[in-house]
Amino acid sequence: MQGFFLGLSSGLTCVAYCTPVLVPYMLGEGKGIAHNFAALAQFLLGRLAGYLAFAFVAWLINLSVLERLESKGLLIGALYIIFSSFLMIYAFFKTDAPCAARSIGHIAGKIKASLLIPAMAGLLSGIAFCPPFLLAMTHAADKGSLSYSLFFFLMFFIGTSVFFIPMPFIGALRRFQALQIIGKMAAGIVGLYYLYAGIIAVVAGVKGI
Amino acid sequence: MKTDTHQVPQGEGKGRTIVLTLVMAVITVVMFSQGKMPQDPKEMIALVLTLLFANTLFFLLLYTGRTDRYRAIYFSTFAVSLIISFVSHMFEARGSMSLSETKILQCEVPFCHLVIPMTLVPMAITKTIIFPGSLLGKYASIASMFVIWIGATLALGRGFCSWVCFYGGLDDGFSRVLKRPVIRNINPKWIYLPFAVLLLVALTAAVYLSPVYCSWLCPFKAVTEFQAVTSTKILIQTIIFVGLFIGLVIVLPILTKKRTQCAFLCPFGAMQSLTNKINVFDVRIDKEKCVKCKRCIQVCPTLSMSEESLEQGCARITCMKCGKCIDNCPKGAISYHIKGTDIPGKRNAYRLLFLFAAFLFLAIFSSHIIQDGIVRVLKLITTGSMIS
Ligand code: SF4
Ligand code: SF4
Repeated sequence: MQGFFLGLSSGLTCVAYCTPVLVPYMLGEGKGIAHNFAALAQFLLGRLAGYLAFAFVAWLINLSVLERLESKGLLIGALYIIFSSFLMIYAFFKTDAPCAARSIGHIAGKIKASLLIPAMAGLLSGIAFCPPFLLAMTHAADKGSLSYSLFFFLMFFIGTSVFFIPMPFIGALRRFQALQIIGKMAAGIVGLYYLYAGIIAVVAGVKGI
Repeated sequence: MKTDTHQVPQGEGKGRTIVLTLVMAVITVVMFSQGKMPQDPKEMIALVLTLLFANTLFFLLLYTGRTDRYRAIYFSTFAVSLIISFVSHMFEARGSMSLSETKILQCEVPFCHLVIPMTLVPMAITKTIIFPGSLLGKYASIASMFVIWIGATLALGRGFCSWVCFYGGLDDGFSRVLKRPVIRNINPKWIYLPFAVLLLVALTAAVYLSPVYCSWLCPFKAVTEFQAVTSTKILIQTIIFVGLFIGLVIVLPILTKKRTQCAFLCPFGAMQSLTNKINVFDVRIDKEKCVKCKRCIQVCPTLSMSEESLEQGCARITCMKCGKCIDNCPKGAISYHIKGTDIPGKRNAYRLLFLFAAFLFLAIFSSHIIQDGIVRVLKLITTGSMIS
């Protein structure tokens, strides 16, 4: 369930940071809900591809680097602390956060095949090095097995996707800004949880040395 | 005839106030005593004092037209009494404030309304209540808290947080210690934090089937009951409870004159805000009378008044119906209101209806706790100990 949970919270961050950027590029103005759904489906598929690729990478990292380390717990704990701190800073004190989806604006200007844009946006947002994604990556790499890594990222995908489903109706969401703030803050609280997990892992790692 | 600059507060006439207070007195005598006079002298004194206290405050609420001042006295007394009564009970039943693993397994943890947002989703999915409390027991049972919550929510919406919640009187009380706030500029974005906490605790409770907020974030654990410290994890949890209590319930309310726990953390409060949508009472601003002096924005303890509110003529969804803005508006532009009726309409009648509902909840819900609090204090004075 943790993947799903982290996915849900990460999805909240996406709502907070990425959707305002994505919406104008993904959803052509006045093209109707059917068109918007088609764009959303492409976006989500792109995202899934990005996540599954990284599930594989996370497993490889574990196999090639982490497994050989003496103080794996210490490293993972330190990574948790760093990434969760980023997540909290972006959630509570900054207005902008790094989201690969932001670069879609530039790409959209250069590429003519407009139908591919949602899929690319999805792929980019699937491999974005934003704090919740990095936390997910650390978590998957920590656990080791390829099947777990794939399962975790699949859950992460489902969790984050939930929040994109209302996008075709976005015009109807009057209180979108309030939702954005709530999403950011919820992600920040999740950061607190990972900070705690990181501290516990580091303490255990230091004791083990 | 009152002048234009002193329109507020406008109380009821003396005769009307006396008649209405007599009605309240009859109801409270019946409800507080539950039809039987106590034999123990201490209990008798406690009953009489509680009745006098409640009815004097009700008289003053009506006669002076001031809502928040007298509500706050009652509300804070309720919260302090709860701590005295609850802690004494814990010591009598278990010999300490800490919960043992056995008590948790035996489902003997007193239920509190703050758990409700976490129980709803798991209840719908698994048909069980994810809290180690007793369903129908004598003390703070799950069923009794649900009944009170549903009734008070239908009648008051988020007014629950200023009239019924047995913790709210703590930060409310501390927010009145200083005359002027030391910290003035609070970013209004923090009013969204309780909604984020609500979202997460509801999700995590559904995923882990346990009340995560109670285990990790509830500041009131510090003054009610908490798990015995037997591991590093429980030690960290205890530090969080105490830290949040000192920060959000004592220090920040004093420095900001805001109810910081209720306005910026409590997930139950966020859920109650949503119920404001379906409640008939709200707080409205008569735009014709308002001179935009922004006094209401300054005094609101929950940041529920903003310039946007003044434009739109209504408080934010987070309004707790405490009445502070109404008491402080120099133009009498703010009033309790019944949805769907004219503004200002019959403002005194609306206020009276709201006050009757809210005051009855406060009086009845608090009566046994305040009485028990008084009995404990009398015991302390006469025997040197609060517990039997
Ligand atoms: S205190 Fe009264 S007059 Fe002043 S801004 Fe608020 S509603 Fe208007
Ligand atoms: S808007 Fe008025 S009634 Fe509502 S919480 Fe603020 S001060 Fe109290």
